[in-house]
Amino acid sequence: MIDRRVVRGAAGAAVLLIAAELAGRSGLIDPVLLPPVSTVLAAAGGLVADTEFWTDLWGTVTVWAIGLLIAIVIAVPLGVLLGTLPRAELAARPIVEFLRPIPSVALLPLVTLLIADGHSVKITVIVFAASWPVLINTMYGLRDVDPVAKETLRSFGFGRLAVLGRVSVPSAAPFVLTGVRLAAAVGLVVAISAELVAGGTDGIGAFMIRAGSGLRTDLILAATLWAGILGLAANALLVRVQRRAFRWHSARAGGGT
Amino acid sequence: MRRLRGRTFIIGAVATLALAACGSSDTGSSASGGGLEKTTISVGVLAIADVAGLYIANQKGYFKEEGLTVKPEVLQSTQFAIPKLLSGGLDLALGNYFSIISATEKTNDKFRFVSDTFQAKNDVFDIVVPKDSPIQSVKDLKGKKISIASLNSIGELAVGSTLRVAGLDPKADVTYMPMAFPQAPAALKAGQIDAAWLTEPFLTGVQKDMGARKIADTMTGAMADFPIAGWTATEDWTKKYPKTMAAFQRAILKGQQDASADRKAVEQALPNYSPIKPEVASVINLGAYPTSLSATRIQRVADLMFEYGYLSKKMDVTPLLVPLPQ
Repeated sequence: MIDRRVVRGAAGAAVLLIAAELAGRSGLIDPVLLPPVSTVLAAAGGLVADTEFWTDLWGTVTVWAIGLLIAIVIAVPLGVLLGTLPRAELAARPIVEFLRPIPSVALLPLVTLLIADGHSVKITVIVFAASWPVLINTMYGLRDVDPVAKETLRSFGFGRLAVLGRVSVPSAAPFVLTGVRLAAAVGLVVAISAELVAGGTDGIGAFMIRAGSGLRTDLILAATLWAGILGLAANALLVRVQRRAFRWHSARAGGGT
Repeated sequence: MRRLRGRTFIIGAVATLALAACGSSDTGSSASGGGLEKTTISVGVLAIADVAGLYIANQKGYFKEEGLTVKPEVLQSTQFAIPKLLSGGLDLALGNYFSIISATEKTNDKFRFVSDTFQAKNDVFDIVVPKDSPIQSVKDLKGKKISIASLNSIGELAVGSTLRVAGLDPKADVTYMPMAFPQAPAALKAGQIDAAWLTEPFLTGVQKDMGARKIADTMTGAMADFPIAGWTATEDWTKKYPKTMAAFQRAILKGQQDASADRKAVEQALPNYSPIKPEVASVINLGAYPTSLSATRIQRVADLMFEYGYLSKKMDVTPLLVPLPQ
């Protein structure tokens, strides 16, 4: 079942790549401005042997992972709090709705002024962007908890905290993880955007700046490709975690994610 | 249980990394290295030929001889250097004279130039048009769109000066399109802009790859040999770290001397910080690498900025310069 899905996915990617290559070769897209796919793939392959690129890749992965982790540490407890206390949620809603749409990259100049360390600047904007999906999913997850299960526990004399710990949080956990998956994607986007805007000692975005200054569009696109692969890998990892940890949930919901 | 311990370990490891990242802002203030206040400094650079002197100094160990470790940090534009200098995220940065002088007048921030690094020469900053463009001379730019790296910058000054010489009014006769250099060639090809103000290596790139035509060298006349950029710090920084600054100045001077003496040195340094192809590096036009910080030269920038209305009053640049103590 999975094998067929992989084959189909690979076929889709291959068709897209061949179409892009043909567009380049036939002159539909100017090969000078946009190098053909084969050139980009070769450049992407070449980057594997480039230790400097590995430093950059690792730089991005580090700020991304740390940012995501801090976002989870902040947003999950906050989501649990707001999800269980409707009054607090009502009070916080205007602030959340005001802050949420602010593009975190727009905060870069401000954060750069406040924080000296380049990596911490990036982590800060990643945390800002990645917290929202986790927070919102946690809140909705808690709101969707089966009321019968809660009432049952309550009628057996369990306190509020016990109900929260035994029913609410576990049944909201799959939603939280979905939030984390969304946050991971957002976090990577923000990490690379921040590097592109603010530069830095390392990072895929910093690599792209150097490649751009050196007139190497092929390397910019090759780095883009690696960024995409990073995102895919992170998502695949989180999907696996989700399947493993919440087998009971996907069984109940009828199918995988 | 084993799985749980593994997870705890990962969480612990990541948390440690997080703390390490947060606490790494004041590295390198140890006392070793010949009495320098600071032995490791972060320097904001652009991955272009302007900073070749710094990389040569790094490569040849001139900084090491002074007991200094220089960590270059690549920026997308010098615009981001200013908040990073103010926050202390960068010790020094490549600052283009126009922006820093402009910031000095507009805000109360006090910047200091500690070394000159790049000066224009022929065909380092040209206006180009597509091969088949009807534009033949600067006069034909009337009513057209020209890309410059950013508004209110050396680009406006240089292009504006060229337009004035041709009898055009930069404010009324053309539209400036702010656009990063790497994006301009595609925009030129696609017709989003009629002409582009470019520097190397993009200039050579568009001429070679798409047959773009040069219609003017903007660094002529009043702009000939115009100072472009210098190594910049805040006044506070120069007061707090005078020995570090002097060490940097001595080392960068040697790098500048190498760069100005031999073009090959620049060509060899370039691939260290930009993935530019060697065959491109060997044909691009290079500016000059000044080996002194001259008030007379930098004053030209402020004077021209005042003349063209980018400064509200005349400015004496002498207090902004911190020449190497003799």
